[in-house]
Amino acid sequence: MLENILSAGNLSALLIILPFCGAGMCAFIRSSKIRMMVILSTGGMLIAAALILIGRTPFQFSPEPFFGVHLSVAIEVLDFFLLAVILYLGFRHRSGIIKALALFQIFALAYFEFFMVKAEVSSATFFCDHLSLLMILIICLVGVLICFQAIAYMKNHEDHLQLAASKQPRFFGVMLLFLGAMNGLVLSNDMRLFYFFFELTTLCSFLLIAHDGTETATGSAVRALWMNSLGGTAFIIGLVLAYADTGMLELQPILVSGKMGGGWYLFGIALLCFAAFTKSAQFPFQSWLLGAMVAPTPVSALLHSSTMVKVGVYLVLRLAPAMNGTFLSQCVAVFGGFTFLCAAALAVGQSNGKKVLAYSTISNLGLIFACAGLNTSQAIIAGMLLIVFHAVIKALLFLCVGAIEQRIASRDIEDMRGLYADMPLTALMTVMGVIMMIMPPFGLLLGKWMAMEAAAGNLYVIMMITLGSALTVMYWARWAGTLMSDPFAGRFKPEQQPFLTWLALGALCVGAGLLSMAAPWLYQLIVPALSWGYLPPYTSHNGILENPYGVFAVLPLSFVAVLGFVVAIVAVKRASRARVVKPYLSGLQLAESGVFIGPMNRPVKAEAKNYYLSSLFGEKKLTTWINLAAGVLLTLMAGGTL
Amino acid sequence: MIETAVYILIALTGGPLLGGLVGGLDRILTARLQSRIGPPLWQPFYDVVKLWSKEKTVVNVWQAFCAYCYVAATSIALVLFVLRSDLLLILFIQAVGAVFLVVGALSSTSPFSQVGAHRELLQILSYEPLLILVTIGIFLETGSFKIERIYSWNEPLLMKLPFLFVVLGYALTVKLRKSPFDLSTSHHGHQELVKGLLTDYSGPILALTEIGHWYEVVLLLGLCSLFWATNWIGMIVLVGVTYFFEVLIDNVSARLNWRWMLGYAWALGLSLSLVNLIWLYVG
Repeated sequence: MLENILSAGNLSALLIILPFCGAGMCAFIRSSKIRMMVILSTGGMLIAAALILIGRTPFQFSPEPFFGVHLSVAIEVLDFFLLAVILYLGFRHRSGIIKALALFQIFALAYFEFFMVKAEVSSATFFCDHLSLLMILIICLVGVLICFQAIAYMKNHEDHLQLAASKQPRFFGVMLLFLGAMNGLVLSNDMRLFYFFFELTTLCSFLLIAHDGTETATGSAVRALWMNSLGGTAFIIGLVLAYADTGMLELQPILVSGKMGGGWYLFGIALLCFAAFTKSAQFPFQSWLLGAMVAPTPVSALLHSSTMVKVGVYLVLRLAPAMNGTFLSQCVAVFGGFTFLCAAALAVGQSNGKKVLAYSTISNLGLIFACAGLNTSQAIIAGMLLIVFHAVIKALLFLCVGAIEQRIASRDIEDMRGLYADMPLTALMTVMGVIMMIMPPFGLLLGKWMAMEAAAGNLYVIMMITLGSALTVMYWARWAGTLMSDPFAGRFKPEQQPFLTWLALGALCVGAGLLSMAAPWLYQLIVPALSWGYLPPYTSHNGILENPYGVFAVLPLSFVAVLGFVVAIVAVKRASRARVVKPYLSGLQLAESGVFIGPMNRPVKAEAKNYYLSSLFGEKKLTTWINLAAGVLLTLMAGGTL
Repeated sequence: MIETAVYILIALTGGPLLGGLVGGLDRILTARLQSRIGPPLWQPFYDVVKLWSKEKTVVNVWQAFCAYCYVAATSIALVLFVLRSDLLLILFIQAVGAVFLVVGALSSTSPFSQVGAHRELLQILSYEPLLILVTIGIFLETGSFKIERIYSWNEPLLMKLPFLFVVLGYALTVKLRKSPFDLSTSHHGHQELVKGLLTDYSGPILALTEIGHWYEVVLLLGLCSLFWATNWIGMIVLVGVTYFFEVLIDNVSARLNWRWMLGYAWALGLSLSLVNLIWLYVG
């Protein structure tokens, strides 16, 4: 009985429909208590459904007609409605480009639906393999935790803004809608359905970025909308071309048979990749993601970790078998490597914490694209691992920065100097997040290690990844050190934060650590996601990943790391009993911290700031050139397929 | 199992012993080049013992944490090297140590230590890509990242990777804190940043950083030895000559600023690596 109710089909219907219902309820409920209950219960059920789904994968299903209406017909109608909404937004914000792109998409879609598509989808409307499962777990676990933290965050946020009427109903409505759209997207087999959810995420991100209603917020939201509409346009053209050449309307056949057609088909795939690049804010479309940080921090956390930008990398990983062994695949690899390097360079030049996080997201997504482009089984697995660990750690870091920003009213790294004295636990969690970003044996580094060993055969890509990782270490280490920068030897007393904030931060921080230790098992979970013709790249025994030319002893190293950590913590305990001295200032020090007797017997305040090397890595210096180079690479990619 | 345990023990005890002796030899050699007699061979050990017996003082308790993590990371890297594990992974773990040393320095507000830390980051930025590219070269030649396989290769790698060996020497100069690249902290007392990176590490905690550095030195010399891994004599001669060369360069050159370091490392180091890697691809 229970088995029947919890069938894979029902569970996935639940995963898609439940957030939509929750969203509808949130949008109409004015009472914050009841809204909180709705969010918590929806989130709880999503987590449970996602976890149960692990045992049910892989599966596929087509929903029965509902009151005589077939799902594909309903989606068709909704699709046009969605595009009409985007068109309306184009008129409302007087953006010619949005209007043009929306109109074009409406006509292209109409042509495609009414004149081209003849046969119905032959297999199922939805399917779920281990890659979809992985995405669902990320969306439902990380995404829901972010929504939980948002409850506490938004209360503070609105108290601070002193609004006449709360805008939270709409806010949480869209947040939940976003999760539903994402679940729908990763479960879709039918490309038209995929396109619908693809556009829905665009609309959701527009609404969330515009949430605060300020001039900058609206401006950023409009930019995000037109850039992603460009992606949507590329998507529909790509779909038309691919269908015209091979009749491809579903994702599944790609997994089974790989490359299917010639010139126009490949050009179509290239356009789909282009759409993925806009979604994932790769150069030259990075500005929408950078602009998106005007939104409340939970929005950034959601966009950067479990939703939106992950759509792009998911799509390209899906398409990887279709372009295996082609010039297109190589171009994607080089383009990804290029983005990884350049975004890391730009991050070095930033002192704005949120911008550093944004560039780091772009950079990591570039690495995942590079993996998809390298297109060996090792690289694909590396890409999937990077998706998981990046999602968890980036969500943690964004939520930490959000909490910090609400306390110190700044997102500048220089203002976070010595934050440990003020917010010890949040500062430590941020440092932990940084450590998990750049250090073995944690999962992100495992992914990077795999990516590097996979890229060793491609000279351009490996050069760029090598340089990019060195830059990455630089900007993260600098931030972690700045947070701890304080003459401090007192006792550790965690600061006050709402329970939901601690819940989300704690779960993400501990979760990322445990998941890293469990990486060999995670590897076994995702290996079945490799399509036909891709052999498992590693053997996994006793928590060690090994192949003939590389070995990463994940579990033993994790144990050693834990041991080292414990010893170091004991050392801290003992050091806190040691005599505390003042930092060396090369002069007689006064009672006030950091002040010494300087020339002419005057007190001098010693100060040091971080190196941001803006003469080398500043945005002004680099952005134009990087965008230009990215444009050249994209042209090369698209032209090379013909 | 027992064999593994023995290897781990050898790495953990032999590492600092060898590293300290290399340090002692270095100081004698440097002294002779400067027409001095120099300290006894065991001086580095006396120094560490003395530091260890001093009173423990801290600026920030997290410095102790960072120092321990530095030693842990560098010793694990050496252990993995002795166990003939994955070279790329070893480099990543070695980088962990370097980062913790920087974070520890940043946790003090002293400008000397802060500037030293940032210079150290620039040093990492200079040598890290070079070390990884050397590894990539070794992979392309031997088809493996595992040191096991590299030791069983029957031709000295130096023959196929001459430029990459130069690049490794380059990285070695930075890593061993030798002039002209001893920007962040120096062995000598003429640093404009006092002791730079290490300014606010003191007493037993400073002793730990010294021990960590020994592990690192041995690891890097091990990396050098891979280039003539076919017989012991070749290995020792190559490492000896390389080290002598490092000391010589240290004594005849003045310190450069970070722009020069980064410029040289990336322009010269990367082009040399690129040329050598292309040879391997073509060959």
